Amino acid sequence: MSASYLARRAAQKERVRILYRRALKDTLNWAVHRHLFYQDASGLREKFEANKHVEDLDTIDRMIADAEATYNKWRHPDPYIVPWAPGGTKFTRNPTPPSGIEIIYGYGREDND
Amino acid sequence: MALRAAILRHIRVPARTLALDGSRMQAWNLFNSIRSMSSHDDHIDKAEVIERVLSVVKSFPKVDPSKVTPDVHFQKDLGLDSLDNVEIVMAIEEEFKLEIPDKEADKIDSCKLAIEYVYNHPMVG
Repeated sequence: MSASYLARRAAQKERVRILYRRALKDTLNWAVHRHLFYQDASGLREKFEANKHVEDLDTIDRMIADAEATYNKWRHPDPYIVPWAPGGTKFTRNPTPPSGIEIIYGYGREDND
Repeated sequence: MALRAAILRHIRVPARTLALDGSRMQAWNLFNSIRSMSSHDDHIDKAEVIERVLSVVKSFPKVDPSKVTPDVHFQKDLGLDSLDNVEIVMAIEEEFKLEIPDKEADKIDSCKLAIEYVYNHPMVG
C-alpha cells in the first residue's frame, strides 16, 4: 500500500465518478421520459458495478479509457444545459452594464421646453 | 421566487373586522413598491434549503429516512457508495435547477456540504 499506489487509485476513482456523472446526464439527455431514464440508469449502474472489484491498476486505466471513448461516442448533440450556465441560452445574455454610464432622459429638451 | 413571494404577500388578505362604515377598501396594487419584482435581495431561506435537501435525500431508495439529519455524511453514516453519492448530487442539482461543475460536485460528500453549497449559490431556484 504505497503512497503512489494510493494516489493512482484515488485519481482513478475520481475519474470514474466524473465519468459516471457525465454518463448519467447523457442518459437523461437521450431518454427524456422518466421511466425510460430509470431503466437506462439501472443498466448503466450494472455496468459500473460489474467491474467494481478489479484490482490491477493498468486494467483499470484501460477500462476507464475505453469507457470514456464510449461516452464520447454516445454524447448527445443538443444536451440540456441549465440556461444561465455556460453553453445555455441565457448565459451572458444580459450582462450588467459597466458602471459610470448614465442615461440622459429628455435629451434635446433641456433648454427651452 | 421574488415574484411568487410578492404576489403571495399581496393576495394574502389580512383578517380584519369590518368597521361600521366598512368603506376601507384595500387598494390592492401589485406594483405598490417599485421593486416588488426584483430578486436583488431575495435569496432563499436556509431553512427551506435544508428542508428540500433532506427531502431529496430521504426519497432516495437506498437510504433509511429516519437516519437523515442535516449533518449526515453520505458514505460514512448512510452507508452509501461513491456512485450513490454521484446520484444524490445529481438529484440535488435537479431539485434546485442548478448546474454544478464536475470538480465541485465531486467534493460534495455530506448533507452539510450540500446545504452550504446550495445556500451560497446565487442562482438557486
